[in-house]
Amino acid sequence: MTQTEPRRRTAPATDGPLAEALVGMSRFVRRGDVSEDLRALFLKGGREGDVFYRDRWSHDKVVRSTHGVNCTGSCSWKVYVKDGIITWEAQQTDYPSVGPDSPEYEPRGCPRGAAFSWYTYSPTRVRYPYIRETLARHYRAAKAQHGDPVEAWASVVDDPEISRAYKRARGKGGLVRTTWDEALEIAAAAHVHTIKRYGPDRIAGFSPIPAMSMVSHGAGSRFMSLIGGSMLSFYDWYADLPVASPQVFGDQTDVPESADWWNSSYLMMWGSNVPVTRTPDAHFMTEARYRGQKVITVSPDYTDNTKFADEWVAPHPGTDGALAFAMGHVILKEFLVDRQTERFVDYLRRYSDAPYLVALEQRGEQLVPGKFVTASDLGGEAAAAPRADFKTVLLDQQGSPVVPNGSLGHRFTPEDEGRWNLDLGTTVPPLSVADVPDWDGASAEIALPRFDLAPEPGQEHAGGSGVLLRGVPTMEVAGRTVTTVFDLMLAQYGVARAGLPGSWPSGYDDAEAPGTPAWQQELTSVPAEQVIRIGREFADNAEQSGGRSMILMGAGTNHWFHSDTIYRTFLALTTMTGCQGVNGGGWAHYVGQEKVRPLTGYSQYATAADWNRPARLAIGTAFWYLASEQWRYDGLPADQLASPLARGTFAGRTTADCLVESTKRGWMPSFPTFSRNPLDLCDEAEAAGKEPAQHIVDSLTDGSLHYAVEDPGAPENFPRVISMWRANVLGSSGKGNEYFLKHLLGTDAAVRAEESGPGERPRDMVWREEAASGKLDLLMTADFRMTSTTLFSDLVFPAATWYEKYDLSSTDMHPFIHSFNPAINPPWQTKTDFDLFGELAKRFSELCEGHLGVRRDVVAAPLQHDTPDVMATPHGRVPEGAPLVPGVTMPKLIVVERDYPALYDRWRSLGPLTEQLGMTTKAITYRPDEEIEALGHSNGVHPSGRVAGRVRLDSDKRACEMILAFSGTSNGRLAVQGFRQLEQRTGQRIAHLAEDHEGSRITFADVQQQPRSVITSPEWSGSEHGGRRYTAFAINVEHLKPWHTLTGRQHFYLDHDWMEELGENLPIYRPPLDMHRLFGDAKIGHVGEATGPGAGQAEVAVRYLTPHSKWSIHSEYQDNLFMLSLSRGGPTIWMSPQDAGKVGVRDNDWIESYNRNGVVVARAIVSHRMPEGTVFMYHAKDRTIDVPIAETSGKRGGIHNSLTRILLKPSHLIGGYAQLAWAFNYLGPTGNQRDEVTTIRRRSQEVEY
Amino acid sequence: MSAIEIVLWVAVPYVSIIAFIAGHIWRYRYDKFGWTTRSSQTYENTLLRWGSPMFHLGILMVLAGHVVGLFIPREWLYAIGITEEMYHWGATVMGSFAAVLTLAGLAILIYRRRTVGPVFLATTVMDKVMYVFLALTLGFGTLATVVHQVFGSGFQYRETISPWLRSIFGFQPQPELMANVPILFELHVLSALALFALWPFTRLVHVFSAPVGYLFRPYVVYRSRDDVQGTRAPKRGWDPISTPDPQRLRRP
Repeated sequence: MTQTEPRRRTAPATDGPLAEALVGMSRFVRRGDVSEDLRALFLKGGREGDVFYRDRWSHDKVVRSTHGVNCTGSCSWKVYVKDGIITWEAQQTDYPSVGPDSPEYEPRGCPRGAAFSWYTYSPTRVRYPYIRETLARHYRAAKAQHGDPVEAWASVVDDPEISRAYKRARGKGGLVRTTWDEALEIAAAAHVHTIKRYGPDRIAGFSPIPAMSMVSHGAGSRFMSLIGGSMLSFYDWYADLPVASPQVFGDQTDVPESADWWNSSYLMMWGSNVPVTRTPDAHFMTEARYRGQKVITVSPDYTDNTKFADEWVAPHPGTDGALAFAMGHVILKEFLVDRQTERFVDYLRRYSDAPYLVALEQRGEQLVPGKFVTASDLGGEAAAAPRADFKTVLLDQQGSPVVPNGSLGHRFTPEDEGRWNLDLGTTVPPLSVADVPDWDGASAEIALPRFDLAPEPGQEHAGGSGVLLRGVPTMEVAGRTVTTVFDLMLAQYGVARAGLPGSWPSGYDDAEAPGTPAWQQELTSVPAEQVIRIGREFADNAEQSGGRSMILMGAGTNHWFHSDTIYRTFLALTTMTGCQGVNGGGWAHYVGQEKVRPLTGYSQYATAADWNRPARLAIGTAFWYLASEQWRYDGLPADQLASPLARGTFAGRTTADCLVESTKRGWMPSFPTFSRNPLDLCDEAEAAGKEPAQHIVDSLTDGSLHYAVEDPGAPENFPRVISMWRANVLGSSGKGNEYFLKHLLGTDAAVRAEESGPGERPRDMVWREEAASGKLDLLMTADFRMTSTTLFSDLVFPAATWYEKYDLSSTDMHPFIHSFNPAINPPWQTKTDFDLFGELAKRFSELCEGHLGVRRDVVAAPLQHDTPDVMATPHGRVPEGAPLVPGVTMPKLIVVERDYPALYDRWRSLGPLTEQLGMTTKAITYRPDEEIEALGHSNGVHPSGRVAGRVRLDSDKRACEMILAFSGTSNGRLAVQGFRQLEQRTGQRIAHLAEDHEGSRITFADVQQQPRSVITSPEWSGSEHGGRRYTAFAINVEHLKPWHTLTGRQHFYLDHDWMEELGENLPIYRPPLDMHRLFGDAKIGHVGEATGPGAGQAEVAVRYLTPHSKWSIHSEYQDNLFMLSLSRGGPTIWMSPQDAGKVGVRDNDWIESYNRNGVVVARAIVSHRMPEGTVFMYHAKDRTIDVPIAETSGKRGGIHNSLTRILLKPSHLIGGYAQLAWAFNYLGPTGNQRDEVTTIRRRSQEVEY
Repeated sequence: MSAIEIVLWVAVPYVSIIAFIAGHIWRYRYDKFGWTTRSSQTYENTLLRWGSPMFHLGILMVLAGHVVGLFIPREWLYAIGITEEMYHWGATVMGSFAAVLTLAGLAILIYRRRTVGPVFLATTVMDKVMYVFLALTLGFGTLATVVHQVFGSGFQYRETISPWLRSIFGFQPQPELMANVPILFELHVLSALALFALWPFTRLVHVFSAPVGYLFRPYVVYRSRDDVQGTRAPKRGWDPISTPDPQRLRRP
């Protein structure tokens, strides 16, 4: 019997015999037991080392908060606190469910947000109030002399030498610590003095994106609105406002939430780098790919999102309009002419202006498209109806003119109650005149502009424009030759139909004819076949899926001078394929987007509409353009932008003159408004025994009063005090940074441009030989970190971070409202923005005794969108020499009483107007009577004093409660109330969208617990009813509620005079501005030799773009140590290897980049990602990190905006006409900056700081 | 016996030893997480794969040679039959081989450290100082061996330096033994003493935490919990919880 006894039952798990021997040997001498396979060792005890690691991840509490100001992500975060110190943050995962069959929102958050807590204790944290030493010294001396702070301030700013001294010191260090007491005293004194001497409209506040911390924004805005200062818009100033949205939809920007991307089956990401700039939402795009979604990326560079795409389309920068135009050509031809796709035709009939009639006009030799035919043109009964000028006309199936419901003329008239809807009844309007059964075959050859040509030699000054002759079918209506918008679209897009006159493309391969795929290939470099394929697929998918084709568009295409035209070509695609208002379809624009979901309550609070109306709300771009004197350098001739078919309205005028006209006509707001103090104007009127409005009209007529916009260089017209909080204009958004420094602040700057010569200056503005410098008396900034702006500020207030205060956040990316909560109290001497403005208001009220009592103020308010004001300009005909009538041909002049001593009390309590006048948002008035009563109980009322019995708004949480209680999205009762009004106006059943939530309220305690889904409300155009995903215009499409436009439909055609002048009646391709021709800049691609500093070095001219960075957008800034470590850190410019090769630049070399606006020093990142001829310098490079002295200027600095400047486009200045009317952040000139050109050379590699 | 000799051969060695011992204690207490080789392997690997094993194998052989030469009295070796000649021949041949290996390894490492950008950026001032004294010590030692042992007549350090060193450790210092030692040996000793004094403040501390045990240890180590609740010491007023008696959970 043999017996084998194996030494082990299992084989040893070692690397081999040697290891086995070593380990096997040791088991006899070491402590503990070794497993049989020699794999594991078992020891007793010895875990003392664990304590450290357990402590590392232990914490005392977790607090819900989020990232404020700029991040559209609006992600809810867990902030961890340990021993009173904020230690780290992590993503919240408790978002309400999206429902079955879709990915969820949670978790949301990106690496930038996860790095935010670094700021709490960062070296750049502003811990104490600071003042510039020069100013402090002079102020203290003056205070000792005068005693009264207001008089002391007056003596400082009135002394030319002293004021010159402290203004010149701006940006050159010298900030010293001061006390809150002194800082508030100086700030309050400056406000009192400025109001008294120059007027409240000489004070401005700037703070962007309220959606991402409504109370922090609103507290300051409320203060400004109570004193009569102006709040500057930001959406248009950031160039994030797509002007095409007001033009086409009559809506600011309304887009789907990101979960709706999942519903799309064809997604084009066009100039929007979703994984980088919408990181927490990008997963919906990648997940939808698993569901079969086709993804297209359109981007000139190899962006991060390209790797997700099935196809990459790489047009030349700024030529996207041509690309979309050619796709439109393919879709119109194949889906609407060769074959009439039923769904598209039906959609265009009901929801677009395509079937509406436009009269043709004779202009010179040629026939051009003119104005929409309205009921007033028809004569008879139709013309006699109220507002017939604004009731547009289409044909019925027999070819007779019909005035359908739902146009602007039906919106406000009592007679038309119940008729403002999209119900066409039995009318089935033909899209084309040619579709009318008894059309007689009449047609006309019309002239259309084109801007795609290279200028003829010798004609460079006139630019590259020309005229196309194409035919449209016509018929006679009311004595006019008319055609439809659809016919005009086919002509514009070059889609030929048999029997029409004019010149037409011979086919897709006709490269000469605008509109064809071959034509766009010449401009964009994108192969025609690719355009045909994508256009076809986009429409085919829309047809088969019922409209689930989506274009996700962004800053890459929206920051151009002509971005409104680019976007209109995009929106034409989504409208002509019936995708708008459909889940998973339509446009999706997010850059800078801010959706204050509880809009009505926020507006009440922030504009202090409970105390006085209206607030002064300004258009940011125009304000800065004038304040920084950029108009003196600009001289952009408006007629250079004009169509060759223009009447000549713009002849001899610059775009600055267009701004003057727009202001005078009351189209756009402008503050400071008049050349005198508006408080004094009221006093003068009283002395003269007149109404202030009459007094102003008389004074303007007799020439004794002027608009400030006509002479921004006059000292009485300077903006005197600017407050910034949650903002960094001088490090981030300040297009024309060097002009700001030179003229607004009066300190060193590297402006290289010459001022406009005598023939190039604005016609309607006063030219002073000596340009104003140092216009601003006080720049005060509240921030939690040192930025370029704080470095130039006279007073710096230490602000609480987003983890140190109560506030509200909402976004359009998701349908939830959630909260900020303080993880710790504001450390050091920091205060929340709410507390800052509360204390400033208090000090202001104290200091104004003896200087300001109860005063009357006259506010020049522009003609406002969503009010009857928009009917001031019938047919968009701009009247010449019309008498001044406030509210019609000039701004409304509204007297507001300002009780300055009571200012603080008003700031912290709810005023009477909310109850008396209600709250109007987008023409719907909400009556929150029950809510006011309830707030009195929950917030409490002031027990005594001036505002005894009024609801308390004296803490940030109470303000949050007010916002939530007064908005339909967070209060079902108000949502239903609003819908009932809308039902009356439209005659359609809509209120059921909110009825099941009528009793629902979202309170602050709710959003502290969990992000809460909003309630469907008439404040917005989409629906969340029944848990569906929000998509814009769902209510319009499904419940026949008109868009807020002239026809009440989506507009392809715009008939305002100025749109005609610009040749932009219809979607059209306009190339980037030719900066060489217009301003003598270098030609892109030009390689030369540097003169001046760095002489002899090769230099190359390239297009200069400032896109959003992976390492600083949006919850984060580039100075964060983590972000600096992840990126290369410091100022960098991305170049293609080709361009770098031309000038001998290697990766990481120091380079200088300059143009007429200034200079910037950076290190080159040479990357194949970049296309030749284009460079990137990421947006928001502050001058706080690694900014050396430039060879070119000899001065420190240069940030990304040193190379840009403001350029106004006249079409953005139109107002008082239908959807082309001003509202805050709805319409205004954009601060575009993509058209710039810069010259780059390698500089000395020895940099000095 | 001059004062300078007292300083060099009595004071300096003790100062060096005290700095070495106290320095390590201090470093261990205050910089546990800095107790590291500061490995630069992630930055560069090709050169390191040659330089590091050459240097480390060489230096271990050098160490072994020094232990034999300095700490074992020659009489003991005679007793086991290792004659002066055999020792001399062995020490010189093996020592030279070790020296070549070590110096070549060090040369590669220093070259790498200077020329590879990321490695150079990760080099601290203390690293540079350490390299100077390490190179000096090795250089003088090699030079002394070459000059006196290979090409010279052979210096009997086992009559002078070795007993002197042992006298230091025996707290009966005999500096006079060092009176006639050639200058190269003296420099070698002094630079080594300086290196020992710097030792605890450099990456050389890793000598004491070289993971030799890895060779003999199973991959996976399980440590049982101590007999306390959690990993922290029990606090006053907190009763320990124990597993309920399973018997009590059942109905009788």
